[in-house]
Amino acid sequence: MPAPVADRRSFEEEALPHLDGLYRVALRLTRDPARAEDLVQETMLRAFRAWDRFTPGTNARAWLFAILRNGFINEYRRMRREPRMVELDAAEPGSIHDAVADTDPEGRFFSRIVDEQVLAALDDLPPDFREVVVLSDVEGLPYAEIAELLGVPVGTVKSRLFRARRLLQRALYDYAVEMGYLEEPRGTP
Amino acid sequence: MSTEPVNCDETVALLHDFLKRELTPESARAIRRHLDACRHCAQHAELERRFLELLERSGRRTRCPDALRARILDALRELGGAPE
Repeated sequence: MPAPVADRRSFEEEALPHLDGLYRVALRLTRDPARAEDLVQETMLRAFRAWDRFTPGTNARAWLFAILRNGFINEYRRMRREPRMVELDAAEPGSIHDAVADTDPEGRFFSRIVDEQVLAALDDLPPDFREVVVLSDVEGLPYAEIAELLGVPVGTVKSRLFRARRLLQRALYDYAVEMGYLEEPRGTP
Repeated sequence: MSTEPVNCDETVALLHDFLKRELTPESARAIRRHLDACRHCAQHAELERRFLELLERSGRRTRCPDALRARILDALRELGGAPE
């Protein structure tokens, strides 16, 4: 039976403002525009069918992200078998600040890096790192909300974010050196 | 209210959380105080701020394609019954 028009209107009012965010997260998770589109469409339809289970006044964005994430896990991760974590065996990445302390201590070179390069570096991160960065640093979700969404402790979110940001910084630093935005470091940074 | 002083290592470890406003008011005050007094850490904080700003700016350039938005609206209207 079709849902009443009033339900569709309330769904559209609550859910449509999050389409950009859903697509951004979907694209970073899948790294494939066609798959991201399918995932977002599926998420919206699934959310609409479950709309009577949404409590008005609660966090619609978090609810939608949870549906998107479940859809991704069920249909994409299972078949792709990507290595999910590198957390335990990877060396602790150092800060790039020491490498630029003499030449660009405030990181002005970041403003010269083009968006495409940032997104490429983000997409090179392991999936679990990519996910927390896009949720926190692009979408602006608080750590506690991300922890709830992922079903992990806040401490895990923080440590993934810390390592992910350091890896990203290192990639962007290497790019900036390569492009001549930064002086070649003396010795290994 | 007095706050425990923090050193450079502790400050650097908390810079992202400080910039993302994820610290308790007391911890944030301690970091602020350290940054006011330590030029090295203040510069490091500025680097991290620029980095986080770049991530947000670049990440948010991606938008939901118009065609997808239209497709979703059509599908919702089909599921949702009566037209406007």
